[in-house]
Amino acid sequence: MVTLAGEATLQSNIRLQQGGSRLWRYGYAVVSVVVAMAPALLLQRFNFSDVELPFFLLAVAITAWYWGVGPAVLSIVLSFLCFDFFFVPPLYSLVFTLPDLPAFVVLILFAILATRFAAVRRKFEKDLREARDRLQMEVDERTKQASLLNLTHDSVFVRDMDLIISYWNRGAEELYGWKAEEAIGKQSQQLLRTVYPVSLEEFRTELLRTGRWDGELRRTTAGGTEIVVASRCSLQRDAQERPVAILETSNDTTERKRREEQIENLNQELARRSVELEAINKELEAFAYSVSHDLRAPLRHVAGYTELLQKQISTIVNEKCSGYMKAILESAKRMGNLIDDLLAFSRIGRAETQKSLVSLEQLLKEALSEVRRDSEGREIAWKIGALPTLYGDRSMLRLVLVNLLSNAVKFTRTRKQAEIEIGSMEGKEAVVFVRDNGVGFDMRYANKLFGVFQRLHQADAFEGTGIGLATVQRIIHRHGGSVWAEGEIEKGATFYFSTPKAEGALWKTQTN
Amino acid sequence: MENANKLGRILLVEDDPKDVELTLTALEEYNLANEVVVTRDGEQALDYLYYRGEYKMRAHESPAVMLLDLKLPKVDGLEVLKQIKSDANLKMIPVVVLTSSREEKDMVASYKLGVNAYVVKPVDFHEFVNAIKELGVFWAVINEPPPGSIRK
Repeated sequence: MVTLAGEATLQSNIRLQQGGSRLWRYGYAVVSVVVAMAPALLLQRFNFSDVELPFFLLAVAITAWYWGVGPAVLSIVLSFLCFDFFFVPPLYSLVFTLPDLPAFVVLILFAILATRFAAVRRKFEKDLREARDRLQMEVDERTKQASLLNLTHDSVFVRDMDLIISYWNRGAEELYGWKAEEAIGKQSQQLLRTVYPVSLEEFRTELLRTGRWDGELRRTTAGGTEIVVASRCSLQRDAQERPVAILETSNDTTERKRREEQIENLNQELARRSVELEAINKELEAFAYSVSHDLRAPLRHVAGYTELLQKQISTIVNEKCSGYMKAILESAKRMGNLIDDLLAFSRIGRAETQKSLVSLEQLLKEALSEVRRDSEGREIAWKIGALPTLYGDRSMLRLVLVNLLSNAVKFTRTRKQAEIEIGSMEGKEAVVFVRDNGVGFDMRYANKLFGVFQRLHQADAFEGTGIGLATVQRIIHRHGGSVWAEGEIEKGATFYFSTPKAEGALWKTQTN
Repeated sequence: MENANKLGRILLVEDDPKDVELTLTALEEYNLANEVVVTRDGEQALDYLYYRGEYKMRAHESPAVMLLDLKLPKVDGLEVLKQIKSDANLKMIPVVVLTSSREEKDMVASYKLGVNAYVVKPVDFHEFVNAIKELGVFWAVINEPPPGSIRK
């Protein structure tokens, strides 16, 4: 398209150069003859004779030179008529006599010669103009391409086979810090201090063989900073397939390279940590196992031998002694429970969660039947609302409900008519709550509720090991949810837990 | 060894002497204490079953039940269980794991190896005594032991 448009401009340029319209050119022919007449007539008046012809020759020559063949013929005819009429005897008549012939022939020959010269000149002129226009077009085109290359953020530069830089774009200026005028004409190797990943010979061989080379180079900028660039070199060949130049585009990958190295380091660190963690986990497991096995045995012995002792001396022992022994037995039992709860708690942290869709309503029925066994003889008004279906570990979620319900049952013991409400709230997440009208708690200590072995009541007021709510929190955290509580002393408490909704998780499992 | 040539219907494998004493006390109530052969680690238990070492000379009869602790010196309980259940001559002997461990992996491993019962020793002495008594009575009295076992 660019070339076509250029061609059109060239054509119209040539037409303009040829000197306006045809009519004007003939007009100029007439004018030139008239202008030649004036000095000729003036000289005749002062009796200079036989000097008229050169004026007409000049008029014809000028016409032929500037305005072409047609106007030249017109000027010859007009010049001859004027010459014949004004200067050749008989004067003021157009009668053609023999002595006029040489002047007429000279006029015609001169005109032919002038026209011929004019034609040759015009041809040269035309060729010259065309060549100039073509050159101009090429220059325009190149300039446009060069300015396009300047627009890119990548650095682009060209070097010849002796590595002398011949083109240097704005991107290269920005990347390497050298201005185009500083870089062009310099040897690229000296300017950039390039370090190749392969030897320079290998680089050249590859480039000459395939015509291209991709790779990572280390270079030094004008400011002396060492940078890493991703480079692509292409070989330019001339019409005879001889390599003439290397075009190289490159971009700065220093930061990326640095990040890659950083990531690599972090990964190694992570691998090391995870090995450490695994070892710690193993240790912890061994510890839990040991607690489970070894701590229980002496406890059993304490209880067992105290029982045996009680049996042996029951007849002689006094009230005080039997009270002591009862205390020993109670403590042993309590410690047994503590160990069991602690182990259960640690197991939740270690066990793999096996997730499936779990209907909380179904789960609540099971939990209720378990809790009701321990609350026989109590008067409890249960209020049960709609509960969501969650995606989670069934047995763990069951433990959550059992713990929350038995907590509510426990702390409403002092109430004549206990009220326990279980329900849920819809929102971004599914929120389930258990509300009771029990003894409640002081909100100032709400943060202690979910800690291991944390208790807000005196041991003899409400039994318990202080593990239940910690277990609840641990399970809910493992499900990606959260737990919190609201309460007021003597006005009941509400425990909430939230977990991500089942729909999203369900969709996830289907796409997996 | 006092019980090197002793025969009994119950083979108890237990390293803790206090547990041995408490177990025997529990079994006394049903006069089953005399029926108990005690081995103190896994190796000794296997020696007994294979008539090796100090048990070389004992009569060729199998116990009616074996009460096996899991945490034992030398050869541990699971290893003993594995040996018994993979031996064609011994695999019929009923084995009851009697342990302090409530760990699920122990339980699963025991059942996978073919244990006949898994009992966690209760901390509470009454419960412990009841559990041992019931075990003794069931396996040594009520249950028909496999052929080749000692009978009363």
